Amino acid sequence: MDNNKDLIIKTESLEKTYHDNGIDVRAVRGVDMEIFKGEFSAVVGPSGSGKTTLLNVISGLDSPTSGKVLLGGQLISEMLGKKLSDFRRDHIGFIFQAYNLIPVLTVEENVEYIMLLQGVSKQERHQRVAQMLKDVGLEGMENRFPPKLSGGQQQRVAIARAMVSRPSLILADEPTANLDSKTGSDLLDMMAELNQNTGMTFLFSTHDRMVMRKARRIISLKDGQIVKDETKNSQ
Amino acid sequence: MWFYIKLACRNIFRNKRRTIIASTAMGIGLASLIFVDGLMIGMKESMIRSATGSFLGEAQIHLKGYRQSREVEETIHQKMKVINELEQEQTVENFASRALSYAMITSAANVRSVQMVGVQPQKEKFVSKIDEAIQEGTFFQEDNPRSILIGKELAEILEVELGDRVVLTVSQAKSGDLSQEMFRVSGIFSFNAQEMDKGMIFIKLDKAQEMMNLDGGIHEIAVHFKNIQLSLQPDLSFWQKYSRWGNEAVSWTEILPQMMAVWDLTYLSRLVMSVIIAAVVVFGIINTLFMSLYERLFEFGVLRAVGTRSGGIRKLMVFEAGALGIISAGIGIILGLALIGIFAYTGIDYRGIEFAGSTIQELIYPVLKVYQFIYYPLGVVAFVSMVGLYPAITASRMSITKAMRRSL
Repeated sequence: MDNNKDLIIKTESLEKTYHDNGIDVRAVRGVDMEIFKGEFSAVVGPSGSGKTTLLNVISGLDSPTSGKVLLGGQLISEMLGKKLSDFRRDHIGFIFQAYNLIPVLTVEENVEYIMLLQGVSKQERHQRVAQMLKDVGLEGMENRFPPKLSGGQQQRVAIARAMVSRPSLILADEPTANLDSKTGSDLLDMMAELNQNTGMTFLFSTHDRMVMRKARRIISLKDGQIVKDETKNSQ
Repeated sequence: MWFYIKLACRNIFRNKRRTIIASTAMGIGLASLIFVDGLMIGMKESMIRSATGSFLGEAQIHLKGYRQSREVEETIHQKMKVINELEQEQTVENFASRALSYAMITSAANVRSVQMVGVQPQKEKFVSKIDEAIQEGTFFQEDNPRSILIGKELAEILEVELGDRVVLTVSQAKSGDLSQEMFRVSGIFSFNAQEMDKGMIFIKLDKAQEMMNLDGGIHEIAVHFKNIQLSLQPDLSFWQKYSRWGNEAVSWTEILPQMMAVWDLTYLSRLVMSVIIAAVVVFGIINTLFMSLYERLFEFGVLRAVGTRSGGIRKLMVFEAGALGIISAGIGIILGLALIGIFAYTGIDYRGIEFAGSTIQELIYPVLKVYQFIYYPLGVVAFVSMVGLYPAITASRMSITKAMRRSL
């Protein structure tokens, strides 16, 4: 019970059903899950097991068909419109498989974007972006545009963008899928280090064995249901 | 706000070719609108000059009711006072007195009813263009009180030439007795307007007054203003000042209401053209923005995912539309200036064409007005931004997960 104050994510009987060409697809089936502050966890499973859908529903990008999602104690599954947008902006950082940077914005502008939405002062934005880029090893690349960067560098920018606003949760959907194994491994080490240093919670969705090795908790999904939840002993 | 403007401007140039094609199309539309507006102004001024300069004058003074009755007795009251005041009038460049009546003109070969006008040759030169319209002979023989000017077509009907004799018959004021005088054709004119060339003859004012027994009376004073635009001002003090002693001063717009009606129709056709151009702009902008939207669905999904509100997405799309509108306006201004500049130099030749009861007698030069380069371009930018709301609302309402899935 002591851990309850550090609960970041709690789902209760979470269900998500899609209607696809007249067929109901139950992507998430009655998921009950708890993620605690500072965890470095991964939701794993084969393609179509419901990993991405689960992350989408947890983050409020998609609404559940039934059940509840509490994020930092707040019922995100019932939030709508501006309130939901603002909540995502302030509490969740996203890292996507395809980096998804804005190509017409420089590295610095991409990273500071969320802080702009938050109304952070220019001076503070500048300081935090500089520090974040230093942390992810992109010092001196502030004025480059994303198309001029390698895949690994772009994903580093995406990590910096996700973390710079200091959210309580980082959701990473297949973050290493487009990277070679060396770059992917380096990035995972970097995220693990940031997790240790900042205490931010990381939740991955992946079927990459390398991510599974580095994650300290593995939640296995099959056909939309949790079939295994394993915390590694070393942690 | 500035961030979205910066982002919109950069997005616009992500596909330079598409942006240039779309903005050029809209720019051409705007340039056409500016050019047509300039042409209409030039045409209107030219038509006014043609209509009023040929004979009518920009304003006329008569006895009240004369224009309807055309009675020979109805001469202008207090003629000398009116003339003295007109001589002092700041807004008036020139004026000329006239006496008018329906008359019968007879030659050895034919007879015809006409409008007889008695004019003061020396003053008439500065008010109308009868002297310039003379094709054969002279604008009255100074020493001959019986010289008459007739139109080219009337001369053909009467089968007369210069120097031939014709007889005019008019009825006299008060008594109604007929008065007949013989004249010699001293000039043949052509205004390229049937109504005048077939139906009007000019004699000297003194002779006309004598024939109609007017005792020095006149029926009409034709006025030429220093600035033609004054004739279009209904609140000009001139109208009140000369509508005294039972007289009335009227603008050419009242004398030729059909011309104003045709101009109203012309304005309507300009409005129709604006609507057509607007439709082209609407579909152009919607097409461009939707292409841009569907190409960047994933980006919009990401922007929404990281916390951008729907309003932010709408702003971004509207600013992109606005930026496209500004580029289009720039292109339209340059093309519009070039078009007006070229034709203001060369002129457009519609001479000899009758329009709204008047014949175009000079080259038409499009007129450049500052408002054409302020209001129309601003209108385009505002309109394009407004049209941008449609794709903007579509983008802001799109499901985030669908947007992110669709582009993968």
